[in-house]
Amino acid sequence: MRFTRRQVVVGAAAAGVLGAAGIYEAVDQLASSPQRPPAAAPGPEQHLLGGQRIVHDNGAEVIVPPLHHELVTATVDTGDLRDAQRRLEAALAGLDARYPATPAGLGVTVAWGLPYFRRYVPGPARRYLPRDRRAAKPALLDAIRFPSDPSGTILEQNDVAVLLRSDRLDHIADAEEALFHDTGFLRMTSVRKGFAGGGFDGGVGLPKQMAVAAGVPGADLIPETAELFMGFTSTLAANLGPDRIANLETLGLALIPDGYFRGGTHMHLSHITEDLEAWYLNFAYDERVDTTFHPGLKVKPGTQTVPQGPSEVATTADVVRDYRRLGTIGHSQSMQPSSRLQDDYLGEDGTLYKKGTAIPQRADFNTLDSPFFWSADPKRDGMSETPAAGVHFVVFNPTSDDFHRNRLAMDGVLPDGTKLAFEPHSRGQGFNAVLTTTHRQNFLVPPRRHRSFPLAERL
Amino acid sequence: MKRLALPVLAVALALAAGGVSAAAPSKGPLCPDRSGWQKLANRVKAPVYCPAWLPDPLVGSIGNRWNNINSVSPDRSYLEGFVWQETGGGAAGGELHVNLRGYPGQTVIPTCTTVDTVKGKTRRGKVPCFADPHGTVRAPGITATMYTVNQDADQWHVLLAWRHAGGLYTLSEHVAAPLSFAKVVAYLKRELNALVLINPSA
Repeated sequence: MRFTRRQVVVGAAAAGVLGAAGIYEAVDQLASSPQRPPAAAPGPEQHLLGGQRIVHDNGAEVIVPPLHHELVTATVDTGDLRDAQRRLEAALAGLDARYPATPAGLGVTVAWGLPYFRRYVPGPARRYLPRDRRAAKPALLDAIRFPSDPSGTILEQNDVAVLLRSDRLDHIADAEEALFHDTGFLRMTSVRKGFAGGGFDGGVGLPKQMAVAAGVPGADLIPETAELFMGFTSTLAANLGPDRIANLETLGLALIPDGYFRGGTHMHLSHITEDLEAWYLNFAYDERVDTTFHPGLKVKPGTQTVPQGPSEVATTADVVRDYRRLGTIGHSQSMQPSSRLQDDYLGEDGTLYKKGTAIPQRADFNTLDSPFFWSADPKRDGMSETPAAGVHFVVFNPTSDDFHRNRLAMDGVLPDGTKLAFEPHSRGQGFNAVLTTTHRQNFLVPPRRHRSFPLAERL
Repeated sequence: MKRLALPVLAVALALAAGGVSAAAPSKGPLCPDRSGWQKLANRVKAPVYCPAWLPDPLVGSIGNRWNNINSVSPDRSYLEGFVWQETGGGAAGGELHVNLRGYPGQTVIPTCTTVDTVKGKTRRGKVPCFADPHGTVRAPGITATMYTVNQDADQWHVLLAWRHAGGLYTLSEHVAAPLSFAKVVAYLKRELNALVLINPSA
């Protein structure tokens, strides 16, 4: 299968904003919905999915992600916030009733940006928005450009972002309709679509099939069964924070006035293009391993799933030593001093989280959007009709500062203040050298009970 | 990261009618510049491979307008590069770049030096000049291994490497517009099948 340009753009241009999956309809032709375990009733957190299926690969547990992902950003357009709050909650409750919060059903996560809090609920926001104790700053900060970001990276100002995840495209389409068409008070600014996995039960994974079909440069070099375009498995259970660890309250990072946002978390959203040709034609497999994981890591050639359990976590000293010796740091290695627990921690939820446990919960997905499936401002967003390999990066951390620490570490700015000198896109950064971030924004994810227009009832 | 800046002649002529030797006689492919390649074989005292077919407008004649590199090192290794480059966007621009190398008397993959300069401090590393093997490609008398990560003048190229008469030989082509990876592989297979082995005569 190979897409024509017309097929690629049909969803965005000809069929309107919603309801048309365009190129992503091919996901259902190329992969079938995986078998999923049943799920328990949804908890207070919006960002957690139940019914996740675990497979084993190369001795590691791997979480099978939902096949289809979509993220819609919007601005609020209403003069009656409380009415909008009731109506959006009713729409969300309707989705809850129709679909379990699982990959087989539908995961819905509604996240709110600082522009919403500043513009619509400034008084309650000053009082109730959580603060990061460690950073002595608000838990939700404006996004920043990081050292390896181009000067043109757009720091977005959306009011709200809705993340939809499912194995079923029709479930996502139903949610789009219910939340954006039927309500009428959320004015969409962008629609971002993508996919993940597909190769866990043998056969060719979705990234290779989709990229080859779209004619993306370098697509032929993606390993057959890769979960992501870059060729390595991303959703190892040990790499993802366990259930409630990314909640605002669990690690005691956030001060939560009146407990209003307890059960909530922070979400960072960015779009990143991936130069697959540069990755696969300029970095030999060993170097791809070195710069994705850590320098000198020995794995069997062609291995895609590389276990990185709590006992294999790098320290700041490890990162500095490798940099001084080789001029290279590993992508995951560099972040581990900030993204993994440095000591055992008894969480606020009563769970003993062991040293080396991952904190961020990623929900990133492959995309062929360039950069988005649809944009309300195509010129500003740099929309192109040519498909491009990329990732819509979605990650849940307890606070903005916690995310910023991890992301800065990727650029050699370590949590203890050590700065490893890298030119932007330096070869020593490997993984980072072939990534270009086009857009960024931070959001607050309220708990399920306050997911609709948080704080509107406190006005 | 930028693609390797090539030491090429920027030639404005997109289409040249210049004597492509693609039409192979029944006896096999015909070298378009037998005397030039014979001189090279004699100079390096080892067999060399003359390309009877290169993508239009390239012609495998040593010293012609497309032959941007004609280099022999003291260790007898040689590099013959052929490039067509057209600046400009869209269909008007593009590049075709084919390298043929030989390493007489050497069969191991050579080592290349990487250079990374950060804030004025240069760090050098050693890497194999050809890496990431992706199977084999066969042509009469040749079983070549395809490598996808290559260095120096072969950076961003797909490269075929094989051994003959105690030497290592390579044929590589740049993955750059207007060619996709798949097209480059197809071209390389055709080019490999059209190589003419020329032994030294003196």
